[in-house]
Amino acid sequence: MEYFLTYLKVFAVGGAICCLGQLLINKTKMSSARILVTFMLLGVILEVSGAFSYLKEFASAGVTVPIVGFGSNLAKGALEGASEEGLLGAVKGGMSAVSAGLTSVIVFGFVFALLFKSKSKKI
Amino acid sequence: MNMLSKQEYVDFVKEKSPKSPMWRSMLAAFFVGGLICCVGEGVSDLLKLIFPAMTEEDVATWTTVVMIFAGSFLTAIGVYDKLGHFAGGGSIIPITGFANSVVSPAVEYNREGVFFGVCAKMFVIAGPIIVFGIVASVIVGIIGLFL
Amino acid sequence: MKAGKQSFYVDNPVYIRSAYTIVGPKEGESNFDGCFDLVLKNDLWGEKSFEKAESKMHREAIRGAVCLAGLNFDEIDMMLAGDLLNEISASSLAMRYFQVPFVGLYNACSTFSESILLGSALIDAGCARTVTCSTSSHFASAERQYRYPLELGNQRTPTSQWTVTGAGCTVLTANRPTREEDKRARESFEEKLTAMRTENMSNGVCGSEKEQEKGSEEANGKKIKHSNISEGAAKSAKTPFSFRKKEDDRVAPQCDKFYERTRLAKITGGTFGKVVDLGIEDESNMGGAMAPAAADTFFAHLEDTKSSPSDYDAIFTGDLGRFGKEAFEYILSKEGIKLCGTYTDCGASYFKPEQKTFQGGSGAGCVNTVFNGYILKKLENGTLRKVLVLATGALLNKDTPLQKETIPGISHAFVVETEDF
Repeated sequence: MEYFLTYLKVFAVGGAICCLGQLLINKTKMSSARILVTFMLLGVILEVSGAFSYLKEFASAGVTVPIVGFGSNLAKGALEGASEEGLLGAVKGGMSAVSAGLTSVIVFGFVFALLFKSKSKKI
Repeated sequence: MNMLSKQEYVDFVKEKSPKSPMWRSMLAAFFVGGLICCVGEGVSDLLKLIFPAMTEEDVATWTTVVMIFAGSFLTAIGVYDKLGHFAGGGSIIPITGFANSVVSPAVEYNREGVFFGVCAKMFVIAGPIIVFGIVASVIVGIIGLFL
Repeated sequence: MKAGKQSFYVDNPVYIRSAYTIVGPKEGESNFDGCFDLVLKNDLWGEKSFEKAESKMHREAIRGAVCLAGLNFDEIDMMLAGDLLNEISASSLAMRYFQVPFVGLYNACSTFSESILLGSALIDAGCARTVTCSTSSHFASAERQYRYPLELGNQRTPTSQWTVTGAGCTVLTANRPTREEDKRARESFEEKLTAMRTENMSNGVCGSEKEQEKGSEEANGKKIKHSNISEGAAKSAKTPFSFRKKEDDRVAPQCDKFYERTRLAKITGGTFGKVVDLGIEDESNMGGAMAPAAADTFFAHLEDTKSSPSDYDAIFTGDLGRFGKEAFEYILSKEGIKLCGTYTDCGASYFKPEQKTFQGGSGAGCVNTVFNGYILKKLENGTLRKVLVLATGALLNKDTPLQKETIPGISHAFVVETEDF
């Protein structure tokens, strides 16, 4: 039951974020890159304002899987770096916090691009 | 062509051009987005089960890596674009959508070779996300210095 | 002879000798199923990239049309060709295989009518006896050039159109073909095409052996296609193809190479269009951007030739799409012109609703394959006598919308009439 409730919360919050994104797409005809940037910056703002940790506690993967989580990681890393190492930490903190994700995206992209070719589509 | 003013025509086009089906697309985005987030939660639960010694932060990082792998793989085999056609925002906003925006140009441009095809074109779409992200993190970090 | 400001009549007859079309699999299942000479099973056509495939389609369309005309390449005086790729590379690369003067054209999706107009003018003026007019477009290569990578999971907006994967070629000539010539050319077509392929290969110009195998495979596929033609027609007759339940969008596709030709089509004139820009910014709404240009050329044509819409059995616009068609009719109604029943948009009627193309087809191959595959056959079997074709094009590249430019449109119109064969 507890599991079910967690997953329900994850589903609802994650779905709501995506739904908001779709609303933006429908209303403003934004391209996918603009949508991703908007939501990442939203994550940065949520992290700085401190709201993100509450959301994360409530819906864990519901907010960390959307790109909002990526933004919050960036901001969190930068803030931690700033408090621990000063200016240098402020500069490199954000990148080091998301380095695993970024590296894996680049590596997987490279490997798959060597193995696969794009296919034409019919819909 | 004298009877129609420019403004009149622009207004006509704005009013009459077909709009996205609002409810259907938002519902699709909600379901698919929610499902992808649930998969993410499932992955992190599974990781916790298999590696009980792992710290919370490591679990989160590994979950991201696994999700990115899934997104990249589905993009490479040509499934993610069909999902995206159905779900729109539901498959763009999760981290898998970010992986899709990196892997899709890389796969698309491999016909131009590895150097100027795959590597150079990889960030055609995801470039702004990384640039905005890094700039924002530095700004936040500098603000953090004064807190 | 010049007529009015933008139009001209042809003084010496310019005949349409033959036409040949090649389309992709999706187009083969469209409303025009059964109209095309060759339907590909895979739009990569054994090539390494979609651009190469487009070039091959272009090349084979020209070759097919020339063979169907019963001509050799040394009898062709000039080739007018264009496509949508950067620096019209699909046409230029295809032209490597022909030892014929080549004139490259670009007017976006209206390149086809531009090539027909220029070809007729050249023949009329006596600069050439026989010319080929060809264009091509490919969904995958256009998508990558103008929009996003194929695998990107974004949603296309409801105003977007689907670039038609297709290439077509029309052979225009000053010599009036006879029935016997025509029959002979059509009967020896397969043989000649195979011979031409082999010949090119022995010269070392054309591809590898593998290609020949593929070519013959396709030829076999085509034979099967032709034997199934009645079946295909019956199948498509059952499907109700109506968009928004409008009658005038209907087409009845049933044509093969030996269709009855009782009439001979000829180009009798045309109107060159101006660039018209009414300030549409959305690059995914090209129908809206092109409709004013089509209307402008249409008005100019009516004024210059002192004709009225009722003089034509049918009026076709190129690829305005469903919304563009609506906009075109709106602009016309503002000027007090109503086209009832005779007006069709090639793009809007191209695909079936279940093929999910939103506004319908677009691209340089759209109006080309519809004209060569469908309209021409209707003209030649006597269903239509006088037709006006307004191909339309949106003149943009990937950067102009980013630089906040609006999208200009262009449209060229040509008139086809028939005489007894």
